[in-house]
Amino acid sequence: MTSSVPVVPILAEIEAHQRRARLSFRLQSAGVWVGLAGALVFSLWVMGKIHPDFIGTWGPFILGGTWITVLVSASSILIATVLAVLGAIGRLSRNPLISGFAGLYVSLVRGTPLLVQIFFFFFVLPEFGVVLPAIPTGIVALSFNYGAYMTEIFRAGIQAVPIGQREAAESLGMPERLVMRRIVLPQAFRIVIPAIGNDFVAMIKDSALLSTIGVQELLWRAHTVGTRHFRTLETLLIAAAIYWVLTIVFSFFQERLERRMARGDR
Amino acid sequence: MFNIRRGAALTLLAGSVVLGSCSAAVTIPTVVCVGEATTYLDWLNGDFKPDTAGTIADPGATTGDLLATVMSRGYITVSTDPDYAPQSSVKPDGTYEGFDIDVATEIATRLGVDVHWETPGWDAITAAGWQGRWDMSVGSMTITTPRKSILDFTQPYYYNPAFLAASTRSKVTKTSDLKFTLPSGATATTLPTDANCAEAIKAGRTEFDLWISSGPTIDAAIAAGTPMVKVGAPVFTEDLSVAFDKSGPDDAALLFKVDQIIGAMHTDGTLTELSKKWYDGADLTVAPAS
Repeated sequence: MTSSVPVVPILAEIEAHQRRARLSFRLQSAGVWVGLAGALVFSLWVMGKIHPDFIGTWGPFILGGTWITVLVSASSILIATVLAVLGAIGRLSRNPLISGFAGLYVSLVRGTPLLVQIFFFFFVLPEFGVVLPAIPTGIVALSFNYGAYMTEIFRAGIQAVPIGQREAAESLGMPERLVMRRIVLPQAFRIVIPAIGNDFVAMIKDSALLSTIGVQELLWRAHTVGTRHFRTLETLLIAAAIYWVLTIVFSFFQERLERRMARGDR
Repeated sequence: MFNIRRGAALTLLAGSVVLGSCSAAVTIPTVVCVGEATTYLDWLNGDFKPDTAGTIADPGATTGDLLATVMSRGYITVSTDPDYAPQSSVKPDGTYEGFDIDVATEIATRLGVDVHWETPGWDAITAAGWQGRWDMSVGSMTITTPRKSILDFTQPYYYNPAFLAASTRSKVTKTSDLKFTLPSGATATTLPTDANCAEAIKAGRTEFDLWISSGPTIDAAIAAGTPMVKVGAPVFTEDLSVAFDKSGPDDAALLFKVDQIIGAMHTDGTLTELSKKWYDGADLTVAPAS
């Protein structure tokens, strides 16, 4: 039983003190980060490598690419999750046709570079009659790729659910499909949430590869503007900073989600 | 103690070898940078086969072809590579500006439709097989025999001289300074687009000192502070046209119409005006006398 209500007042004081100490440590670490990053930017400015008016003119345009990056990543992770659940169930299936197919998907996709897959979906697929505009192509390629990696994560998650759960459900007469849907998958999902969060953060950065097929996301904008005005240092710095901030923001939300899902375990 | 000393000695040896090879890497004067899938690369490889658009016949009244699709849609999708100032570059609000942009907009206006833009890479545009993602390329594309087998071209809308440019650190200012003959003696290296070559030289990279690109692009790079100079007379001049995908929907009627529009733009002076606007008063729309 959790004791959120302290038995003795001194325990409350100790808890509050510990919380304050943690917060102060976090703030100081954040302060060090800001200080170091700020020092880097300042020294670049002193060297004359950064021009505030250039950043002022082109910042908004480059920033506009963030929306596309997040949109593509969010759509892809959702589709990839669906593919991963199907893939994991397929991998664990006793039917050799299904498990072989799922295993081939995982092996093939994990065995070829993401960039190759992106080019494949953009240039080769149309030869078979399927022509998608650049952004949907990008979403398909990213989901297809991440779905394979996440299949293995989901498979491990499903296998990590205690076998007693499945046995208890089956002894109650639950059909196989309901066991999976009602008992195993929800618990497996809770186990793999950190991994999905990780993959989402990784996908935000992998979405930069879509600049090769003309999607006007963050990197495309930064590189185009930088090359045109011979200011690649500044534009790439802006892009890197935005990717970094996105990563920090989404990691923070992931942490909150994890803590929320683990509440029942404490 | 003994192992640490040996380790330190080996590290020093390896380090001095690396550093020694670094300082020994002098700039190789025979390496020329060009953009991927450009005619400059073809020329360096001895593979440049310039061609003419030929006669473009009037196919008469047509239905259900690319022209019909464009007219019923109300817009034409044009491909552009916004990394190619002053032909095409992007503005802070996300729209495009440049000579090619103005020409394409004028063509669309005369067709009676709006213009939408797509920004694939240059190699995707020259490879044809556009799959209907865009309808027309107004991107300063040179007419060559290999390209004619996969793309349809209109008459040229302007002519661009290709120049060799050399970085100031190579001390090359005249063709006679080169220790080899172009193009046979040169080694070509490619980067995704022409502008990347200037970018590399401006950043101080040492893989190459020479660059071949169109005159105006080189001028723009030099004006932006790239430490290089144009060397000698133009190495060749190219006919630059509007292109359509042969493997796409039937483009004969649209090709004829756009060709007529370009002819009209030559006659009524629109192209000259645009050229003077973007190329510092120079009129590149008259065929060079040769």
